[in-house]
Amino acid sequence: MRDGAVPYTTCAHCQSLVLRDGLSAEVIGKVAVVPFDVSPVQLNTSFTVAGLHMVTVGRVRWGWSAGSWNEWFLRADDGSARWLAEAMGMFMLTVERPDILERPLAQTLVHGGTLIPGSDLEIDGEGYQVTDVKDAQCLGSEGDLPFPTLSGWQMTNVDFRAPSGGALSLQRDAEGTTAWLGWWFELAGLSPKGLREIEGWTVPEAMR
Amino acid sequence: MSGVRTVSCPNCGGSLEVRAAGYSVSLGCRYCGSIVDISRPEVALIAAYNREAATFTLPPGVRGTLFGTEWQVIGALRRSDGEATWDEYLLFNPYIGYRWLVASEGEWQFGTMLLDRPEGDVDSVTWRGARYTRAMHQPDATTETVVGEFYWRVARGDRARCSSFERGNNSLSLEESDGEVNWTLLVPVRAREIESAFGLKRDDPVNKRRSLYVSRADDSDDLPRMYLISTVAAIMALVLMLVLAGPTQRAVGAIKAPFGTTREGQLIGTIAIARPWQFVTIHAQGSDFENRWVDIDYSIVDRSTGQSVDGYGLVEHYSGRDSDGAWSEGSRATNTQFGRLPRGTYDIYADAQAHAWPVDEAPQASGWNAPEVLDVRVEARTGSVPWGNFWTLLLLLMAVPLLVTWRRVRNQE
Repeated sequence: MRDGAVPYTTCAHCQSLVLRDGLSAEVIGKVAVVPFDVSPVQLNTSFTVAGLHMVTVGRVRWGWSAGSWNEWFLRADDGSARWLAEAMGMFMLTVERPDILERPLAQTLVHGGTLIPGSDLEIDGEGYQVTDVKDAQCLGSEGDLPFPTLSGWQMTNVDFRAPSGGALSLQRDAEGTTAWLGWWFELAGLSPKGLREIEGWTVPEAMR
Repeated sequence: MSGVRTVSCPNCGGSLEVRAAGYSVSLGCRYCGSIVDISRPEVALIAAYNREAATFTLPPGVRGTLFGTEWQVIGALRRSDGEATWDEYLLFNPYIGYRWLVASEGEWQFGTMLLDRPEGDVDSVTWRGARYTRAMHQPDATTETVVGEFYWRVARGDRARCSSFERGNNSLSLEESDGEVNWTLLVPVRAREIESAFGLKRDDPVNKRRSLYVSRADDSDDLPRMYLISTVAAIMALVLMLVLAGPTQRAVGAIKAPFGTTREGQLIGTIAIARPWQFVTIHAQGSDFENRWVDIDYSIVDRSTGQSVDGYGLVEHYSGRDSDGAWSEGSRATNTQFGRLPRGTYDIYADAQAHAWPVDEAPQASGWNAPEVLDVRVEARTGSVPWGNFWTLLLLLMAVPLLVTWRRVRNQE
């Protein structure tokens, strides 16, 4: 068990999903193995952005009708959590912003409604536009995560983008809705260390 | 762990490599051309075809180093707008992401998808402080052939609405399909660079001989008179241009063009036009830089009316090394000519932004670097002669006598 503050852990040996509650731990089911991919990120890969150091502690693989993507759960040195979502070879790094859920547009999603691409929202003086709405189910997981990633676990994900490269992700699942705000990055912009070695490729000098 | 996943084509059974496993969603079989869904562990046939897959200059699987990064071609598309056909290659490096190569009539462009988005309207957009204007040709692209893997669902017959905005040699391309909007920055790459990067063997230059042009002999010889008339007309035009150009006034200034942001409203100087109207030329000379370019937007503002006439200048210089040795391209100096400015006093302003080639660093990534600037000397001059117009005129005047001369020389051989 690696991270006391995150309730769910997938056992790397038997794929059991363990729920920790205080000192007790309970096996609540089996989790699917994450399908093979060539993601350069792995558990324990670290990142440094604007002086903040973060370590990868978990991963969920989400599948939707036309593909799948990884979301990496990061723990920052200041104790806060981050999500790092991988899409089209680019990375969206976000931090939770519960205040955004108060907005009427977000409330639509909170109360079970749907959002359509093109709808927009202003945050901190910048306009964010819905670019993508997906219903996804969990295809597998590893490491420590804040929600149970049993097969059949589903969520609705709404991505927003801002002209500056800003990103907002609203996620609704059985436990409620959360709002995550951040930026799009290329991998090099995250100053990664401890990347996965992929056969046939060399990790660029600057990322070693 | 191996970086490649192997699947079998559900149509022809051919063995296919998936090089961007986990990202790639569909695959065009290189044996039969069928489209296969590879987004799940179990592959599924989306569309069966039984024709030989098209051949591409860069077949999926080949690797090459461009701009210091190793890339593998993982997918190739042949697209058409009904008139022209071009090829698009998807490049992949798991540590860097995706890039594009677009090959159209022997010209190559390197494409980088934008993380930040240009803003603007149908006529022009602004990206990182620079204005891009809508290109004349706005092709709607239809996908004709697909080989290799892609991170979205591809199909023959896919249509995308494309818009293109240009600035100098570079362009921003906007593609809309299935409610998704993507912006890509395209910068030109020399064909030789591609050939050298991907180890392509160039075709031996075909020794094309033009068919011999045989003319009948001229009965009488008016050639000397033709030359005389053309020369006199050219001299008269030159004198007229010099008279119209009028007296010369200069204004000289310097700009420090920053990267990642635009230095706006830098005053270069003031010039007065004393005649009913005059031409103005602005000459920009960049300092000694390499693989950089500077976009300069000029505004010549009439002091009495506040109205401005706008123009654009580009100083650029690139160099590299390919199979033929070292090459360099572009000019660190440029002239921008303004026609017919009416009498008045004008302030000349410039907005300038420097760029790295092929791609600027993303703004977040470069935030920590010391701000780098490029020095550009700018000189505005009134009373300039539109030399381009003069040389064109001279060429047109001399075209007929020169053609006649050429034909005669050929016939004597």
